[in-house]
Amino acid sequence: MTPAVATASTQRRYVMGRVVSYALLILAVLMVLFPIYWMAITSLKLPREIYRVPSLWPKTFTLDNFEKLLADGSFLLAIRNSLIVSTVVTLISVTISSFAAYSMVRFRYRFRGVIGRLILFAYLTPGSLLFIPLSIVMAQLRLGNSLVGLVLVYLTFSLPLSTWLLQGYFRGVPRELEEQGMIDGLSRFGALIRIVLPLSAPGIAAVAIFTFTGAWNELLFALVLITSDSQRTAPLALNYLITSDVLPWGPLMAGAVISSVPLMVLYFVAQRFMVAGMTEGGVKG
Amino acid sequence: MTEARNPHGWTRRRVLATAASGVALAATSGFPMPAIAQSKKLTYWGGLIFSEEANALLTDTIMAWGAANGVETEVVMINQNETVQKVSAAVSSNTMPDALDVGLDLLLLLSRQGVFSTVDDLYKKIGDAHGGWFEGTDSATDTSAVAGGRTGIPFGVNGNLLLRRKDLLEPAGFAEAPKTWEELVTQAMAVNKSPVSGLGLALSSVGDANVQVNVLQSYGGRIADDAGKMVTIKSEATRTYLTWLKDAWDKGLFSPGSTSWDGAGDNQAYLSGQAAFIANPGSVGIAAKKDDPELFEASAFSPLPAGPMGQVSPITPQTRAITAASPMQDEAKALIEHLAQPEFMNAYFNVAIYGPVLKAQEKLQAFDGSNSILVGLLGLAQNGTAPAAPDVYNAAWADLSSNFVIPKMCQRVVVDGWDFDRAMDEAQTQGQAIYDKY
Amino acid sequence: MAVSPARPISSRRLRAGWRTRLFAYLLVAPVVLLIVGLVAYPFLFAIWVSFTDMVVGSVGQFVGFKNFQYLAGTATFWSAIWNTVTIVLVSDVLKLGLGLGLALLVHQHLPGRGLFRSFLMLPWAMPAFVAFLTWRVLYQPIGGGFNLILTQTGIHNGIIDFLGQRSTAMASVIAASVWRGFPFWFVSILAALQSVPRELHEAAIVDGANTWQRFWNVTLPGIMPVIIVTTLLSSIWTANGFEHVWLLTAGGPSDATMVFPVLAYYGMQTQRIGEAAAVSVYMLPVLGILVIFATSLMMRREE
Repeated sequence: MTPAVATASTQRRYVMGRVVSYALLILAVLMVLFPIYWMAITSLKLPREIYRVPSLWPKTFTLDNFEKLLADGSFLLAIRNSLIVSTVVTLISVTISSFAAYSMVRFRYRFRGVIGRLILFAYLTPGSLLFIPLSIVMAQLRLGNSLVGLVLVYLTFSLPLSTWLLQGYFRGVPRELEEQGMIDGLSRFGALIRIVLPLSAPGIAAVAIFTFTGAWNELLFALVLITSDSQRTAPLALNYLITSDVLPWGPLMAGAVISSVPLMVLYFVAQRFMVAGMTEGGVKG
Repeated sequence: MTEARNPHGWTRRRVLATAASGVALAATSGFPMPAIAQSKKLTYWGGLIFSEEANALLTDTIMAWGAANGVETEVVMINQNETVQKVSAAVSSNTMPDALDVGLDLLLLLSRQGVFSTVDDLYKKIGDAHGGWFEGTDSATDTSAVAGGRTGIPFGVNGNLLLRRKDLLEPAGFAEAPKTWEELVTQAMAVNKSPVSGLGLALSSVGDANVQVNVLQSYGGRIADDAGKMVTIKSEATRTYLTWLKDAWDKGLFSPGSTSWDGAGDNQAYLSGQAAFIANPGSVGIAAKKDDPELFEASAFSPLPAGPMGQVSPITPQTRAITAASPMQDEAKALIEHLAQPEFMNAYFNVAIYGPVLKAQEKLQAFDGSNSILVGLLGLAQNGTAPAAPDVYNAAWADLSSNFVIPKMCQRVVVDGWDFDRAMDEAQTQGQAIYDKY
Repeated sequence: MAVSPARPISSRRLRAGWRTRLFAYLLVAPVVLLIVGLVAYPFLFAIWVSFTDMVVGSVGQFVGFKNFQYLAGTATFWSAIWNTVTIVLVSDVLKLGLGLGLALLVHQHLPGRGLFRSFLMLPWAMPAFVAFLTWRVLYQPIGGGFNLILTQTGIHNGIIDFLGQRSTAMASVIAASVWRGFPFWFVSILAALQSVPRELHEAAIVDGANTWQRFWNVTLPGIMPVIIVTTLLSSIWTANGFEHVWLLTAGGPSDATMVFPVLAYYGMQTQRIGEAAAVSVYMLPVLGILVIFATSLMMRREE
């Protein structure tokens, strides 16, 4: 326990520290938000103004772009498809990568190293090359143009990340806790579910954020695999707004704003799980 | 597998979890059924263009034809920016549609692999019915050399026109469009004052910048010899062209950013009122007409200027092709023939930015002179030059264009300040390396 | 139960019989099956194709190292090597600095930190192409957001052509890429910071360590596994990243920002898959070594 004596200078340093922290954070947030601010105000401008009168604040506010985009409902359908795909991918990915990460952290077996490296090879070839053979595979599995196919492809790319990151987080959970749990009657599996996972909540939250975001934003494979309107995902619907070399900035930015809402909700919710102190409770008794 | 352990809750839980995700998956996709014998359905991939009305028109017309002829049809509109990827993937995975809209480049490339059926009889039939095909289109789309016959039925041509701000140029004393590249520079100089740049011509590694190839050719420069094998980029004619380019650059006529523009860069410059001249196939005109009528009134289209050796103004035909592996050959042919009818084509031309391909189409209402863009495109269809002319349009040419060898040469000169010989040498070497591949 | 840095329970327990090992393999099976099943074929396909002259629609014939030789003969290729390495190294350093710094700031019990955390994740809230198209617009010489700010605040009165000049193109691409990519580092490191047991910190304070010593001896070792993994993955993704260069400069001007994935894309556009594959295969050894090195580091830290 820190001694409760606070000298004047300690207090001043403390306040200074706070002020500096806030200043830096606000600066960072401003720099991060500026492009997003630009996207938002562009979505509220008239097309003519976007081109002719560039400015940091709209001269005329309009909701035209949003109306045009939401008019026929197909954009919202695309958002729904994205929600389905991203949620399923995240749930499955977190589950099976937890299993795999646990296995690779807690056990020793001969192929552990090989397996670990093998799964990382999924990232070594760029998408612009993989999409052709992957589309062949999908066609043979008869999963082209379906959300299931997308889920599978996205899983392939989220699992290595999730597995490796979770390994990093699982390592931080003291073995003694699991030992204790098993002495108390839990199985290995039970120890994983009831002890390791809750204590790694920040890590799980992080992995959920990455997986969901990655699946939500992915464009190339959706573009190649999906051919019908009804199966489109949000990025695909946005991409289809671009039909020639004149970009429809208004509707495009409006669409970007709309499709960013689920992600913002996710971030706000998930970051609450990133709370220190989860480890405290577990250790005591 | 489960007998080896006997913890209490987990087997049940595991089964439940698996079942739950299985149900979720099945529900979300409409679980794919094993393939049945292929039903009689005609799938058509249409080229999605800028104009929503044109896209809707194409879709509706095809569906209506299908209904009237008892053929089940499905139309998928493919964004033209992604056609290459989608078609590549479809060819590789055997999921090509029965028929599709395809540009000349891709048509040639895939015809070489035998992806499309030959349709000479259909070509002749349509040509005869509508006054014959235009020269440029006819020679450009002749795939006989590579595929043993014609594989594409043209339906429209597009190409670059010169778009200018007549509201800025007329007060400066220039009522007529520039006829040569030199005149273009003169006119551009007169209006080149911030924020307006005289020349909104792209010099970046993007399709728009390949207009520079045409300028080069109009000065007499050639990419390769008449056999299409030996690269001849380094030449006196090219030097003259580079002199023109460097001169214009040094006068500050090119828009800032033109050395790294994307495909939309020149259009954005024009629509922002920051460029006096751009090369555009008409898309900016349509955008201006809709969102900025003031700008549209202030603009005018004209053919590309000529160089000392003549005018090089290539046309790009758009064609319809039938997949060789499709079981619906006759139906597809009938559909394409139907789509060549004047009623549909007139309506389509009116809302798209294509020029005509058949001589009878000259008399269509769309080209009667009321629409300046279409008039320009008509001129292009009548007088435009074949795609690579005067060079040979072969696969090596397409490769060189896709690698932006000439725009890169321009960048070396204006961005890196290389002297002409060094820049020409690099382009020559790289060009020859590309041509040697074929 | 007292907390003490107890001796790890003998590993005899862990290397138990075949049942435990079977369990271990089963846990890892779904991941391996899925990845190997879906990626092995494309991966091997890509390697095979790089040795052929495959074009879309035909199988192509074996041509040995011809593609590799052709590529190595172009000036663009060598620019790509230099640029790719530069982008990866500089981005990594910047993202590490930003991610770590911001994570440490937000790790404190500041009121409103939840908001800060959420905001700092926002660069991800849109597809990559939207993000980089926006950055392109911001970089526009006339009327772009950045130039507007510079002129309106009086910092600089001319026009800066961020993307069209050799001097600023690379920095501009890196800035956009760091903006887009730092949340990954930020979130990973934040989660790792939260997972370091508070007891260790408190014990260190009792032992008289100051802030810096605590950071160096308690925090940093605790989050090092995550940092290693993050560095590895981020480097691979940046090296293979396409949109951030393509959408901003397409590799220009004059190859100032040309990187391998863009070079591969050019190959794809000309339908010459063999060449495109060869570009990627060139990168494989380097990336492969990176993977092996980093994973060894991770595994060794367990001892």
